[in-house]
Amino acid sequence: MADVSLQTTPRVRSGRRNLRLWLPLAWITTLGLAALFAPLIAPHDPLYQDLFLERLPPFFMSGTEPGYWLGTDSLGRDVLSRVIYGTRIALCVSLIAATATCLVGSTLGLLAGYFGGWWDRVISRLIEIWMAFPPVLFAVLLVAVMGTGLTSVIVAIALIDWTRFARVIRAETMVQAQMDYVDSAQIGGARRLTTLVSEILPNVLPSIVALLMLEMGIAVIVEAILSFVNLSLSSDVATWGSMIAEGRNAIHFAWWVLLFPLIALFLTVLSFSQLGEGLKQRFDPVLQ
Amino acid sequence: MTMSSTLNIQNLTVSLRSGLPLLRQVNLTLEPGEVRALVGESGAGKSMIGKAVLGTLPPATRVTRGQIFLRGQALDHLNAAQRRHCVAQSAALIPQDPLTALNPVRRIAPQITDPLTRIHGWSAERAQTRALELLDRVEIRDPARVMRSYPHELSGGMRQRILIAAAFAPSPPLIVADEPTTALDVTVQKQILKLIRELQKEVGTAVLFVTHDMGVVAKISQKVSVLFQGRVMEDSTTEAIFSNPTHPYTRALIAATPSYADPARSFSPVPPELIAQMKSKIAQEEIL
Repeated sequence: MADVSLQTTPRVRSGRRNLRLWLPLAWITTLGLAALFAPLIAPHDPLYQDLFLERLPPFFMSGTEPGYWLGTDSLGRDVLSRVIYGTRIALCVSLIAATATCLVGSTLGLLAGYFGGWWDRVISRLIEIWMAFPPVLFAVLLVAVMGTGLTSVIVAIALIDWTRFARVIRAETMVQAQMDYVDSAQIGGARRLTTLVSEILPNVLPSIVALLMLEMGIAVIVEAILSFVNLSLSSDVATWGSMIAEGRNAIHFAWWVLLFPLIALFLTVLSFSQLGEGLKQRFDPVLQ
Repeated sequence: MTMSSTLNIQNLTVSLRSGLPLLRQVNLTLEPGEVRALVGESGAGKSMIGKAVLGTLPPATRVTRGQIFLRGQALDHLNAAQRRHCVAQSAALIPQDPLTALNPVRRIAPQITDPLTRIHGWSAERAQTRALELLDRVEIRDPARVMRSYPHELSGGMRQRILIAAAFAPSPPLIVADEPTTALDVTVQKQILKLIRELQKEVGTAVLFVTHDMGVVAKISQKVSVLFQGRVMEDSTTEAIFSNPTHPYTRALIAATPSYADPARSFSPVPPELIAQMKSKIAQEEIL
């Protein structure tokens, strides 16, 4: 009989690693629910202006009006309601833009890394040329050309940031392509594309997921930046970026207008990046 | 004869892009059911022959001259897809390093059965049954459980057994064994060698056995090709090689094998003068 026995690896997972996965997940789920049920949760209409109630402080300060938990802005609009409605834009942009970016970048990275030759030469040059453009200027130009609006923001993010995926995934694919199991699959008669999709892709998937999560955070920031410079959506839609932009003028005497969307933005971006790392560790059978 | 041989290599020259030859006009034949050992020091081109046959030469190298006939079919007349199909139908590989030769993120079962269903057109059940049978044959204790495992859950010796089972599963006419015991410790080496020899006899497969160990050559092969710097120095039966080696390099290689009886005295490296002499001879022939 064989003298080597089957070892089963116990799934040891430290509490800290669990927190890294569950805390961000909790925050993002909260955001998702808030976005979905915004009309039910929000205490006020996010666009309703009441100039008699302008710049009310949040609930823990004196001089508040009941029902305006996080205060109001310079036009008397409820900050809490605007933050809640802002999650719709933030999540929508992060999901669609990051997924589009991921699809474009990962596909090009996989093709360049595995097929090499002309594929690699063309895609690598494209990446280098792309990265020579200053990204913010590029985004502003793109939105200026295509016109403001959510679609333009999403297209701009995907067009600018695909290089982030392409570079990393290309390098990881090249490492995997040299492994013996790729040769074995070829000798076993697998077609090149089959080998890429069913042998190599699962090995780079943890990195793709981690990058995707990171990209979701970045997409939220880019949307906020474009809102900040008034290039995202018209001002009658509540977004975190436009709230921060408006709150900037009154930061000395009505800081809450700026602070609460900023906290939401910060927590969201942090959650996405932590979730990426947590998922990467969870996904990878070897790291488990 | 060409038509009846499992493998027939004629004047095969493989070079780096820079022009440096790795194999120089190699000729060898392998009859059905025969085991031929390829011996030589590292860098002699032993593995290159196997890679050239299986179509897994590194990207920086190419066949510059010569022909390979696999069961009478000239491989260089086929396009990439036909060639891959032809190789997958007639040949399999037992790789050198069991740690990288299995895909870390895929379970064992599909890694054995994929070529059976894909190339040999077996049903999933038939492939599954055959895989279990072979795993049992290579003395793996709980085949059903091992089939569901990931490679990292198994020891190096077990993985090498799995790779042997996978190679023999379709009963291919040709198996290239690329130093299948080098990565294993000595006790496991012996068992693995025994398994390969037994299965080879049962299945009637011809084996191209790459090794640098003259002890292994004596145990497993009927024919031997001695390689030096990509050139076949001697091609003979195993018996003749050990009883009456004609080339001084072969004699030196046999002398360099340590004996268990007298390890301290028996080890004598290949004399550097001989190597220098052979190198200059090859260089001279190259100029002519």
